[in-house]
Amino acid sequence: MDFVPGGELSRRIREGDVSAESELIRQFEPGLRVLLRRRTGGDQGLLQDLVQETLLVVIQRLRGAGIDDPQKLAAFAAQTARNLAIASLRKAERQRTDVDSDATERNADPSPGVEALAADLEAAMAVRALLRELPQTRDRLMLKRFYLDDHGKENICEEMALTEAAFNQALSRARRRFRQILEERGFSKRDLLSLGL
Amino acid sequence: MNQELIEQYVSGKMSQAQAEAFEEYCVANPEFARQVEFEQRLKAGLVLVASGSTAEFVRSNHSGRWILAAAASLLIALSAGFYAWRLAPGATRHIMAAASMNAQPDGPSMRLALVRGAENAPQLPGGMVRVEIVGLFDPGLQYSIALDRLERQKNVATVATLDSQQPTSPVTLEVMIDSDQLQTGAYSLRVRKQGSEEEALEFGFMKF
Repeated sequence: MDFVPGGELSRRIREGDVSAESELIRQFEPGLRVLLRRRTGGDQGLLQDLVQETLLVVIQRLRGAGIDDPQKLAAFAAQTARNLAIASLRKAERQRTDVDSDATERNADPSPGVEALAADLEAAMAVRALLRELPQTRDRLMLKRFYLDDHGKENICEEMALTEAAFNQALSRARRRFRQILEERGFSKRDLLSLGL
Repeated sequence: MNQELIEQYVSGKMSQAQAEAFEEYCVANPEFARQVEFEQRLKAGLVLVASGSTAEFVRSNHSGRWILAAAASLLIALSAGFYAWRLAPGATRHIMAAASMNAQPDGPSMRLALVRGAENAPQLPGGMVRVEIVGLFDPGLQYSIALDRLERQKNVATVATLDSQQPTSPVTLEVMIDSDQLQTGAYSLRVRKQGSEEEALEFGFMKF
């Protein structure tokens, strides 16, 4: 996919070029997902809503008043996403404190919903497949120490008697395989189809 | 931008200013952003898998021996179950049963998800209750379920067991519990992958 600079995208959208809007969606959507995933705690529905809302706000702004510095279109989109995420969080907080407390007790269910659990299910299934494939207990433990226990690379290398090169190689192999498993399961295709602004 | 920065971002080790600059770079560079998202998903997947049990990270490499051990465990469990059934027919058979497709869809139901504190434990309604257990299950495998009554002084009495249950989806496993046969008190459902050394998942609930 060719990269179109923000300034050019802004100009074309302002001139009513619909294909430029599609370009903007294709270019910005993956980055906005990264930013919003961090702020939505794995809630796929909310993440998707906020991505779409952000793109809508950015496109409407470009169709209308435009932005001060079109070269900084990515920064504008990122800030819009952050603002929308904060607003969504505040709204959820307000709803939690405004509701009738008796009703809350009657309906209290602190467990994560099926939907929330299912959100990263695909990734979890891929992780399971990856763990099954990894021949060495050492490699599986390495992933656990690094991602779950939050140990530094140096500590893990020392603890598991690994050189840094061997650690990086094993980690990179695991990442590559994880990506491959997810892609085989259709993650990338669905990713491309996920936006229907 | 390199892998180290991706790791720092995903593990939350960047300052706010660094993270914001990183995010702007992601928005402007879709290919790079996809790389970051895979890292985020890898971490999320690991967290979810580990939330059930960390046994998968430390399992033995000797798969042949593992299969033999699993088969032996299954045989012993089946023999013990059969022996218990012969000794006390009907004593615990009907407290818990496999979820039936013919069960009333609008009948009483309860959903259990992960472990929770006693103060938040859900309440089992009366009658024949469809219990939906929410967790991460492997649809190709079978699970055994034990219903324990938690008594005073931390005693645990198993009141019913059910083997060879298959998940209805990758996130749900359903059983029927006859609530009317249970005394009031705190209960726990233990779900274990059959033939596995993994720790059981535990789901608490109350019967009033």
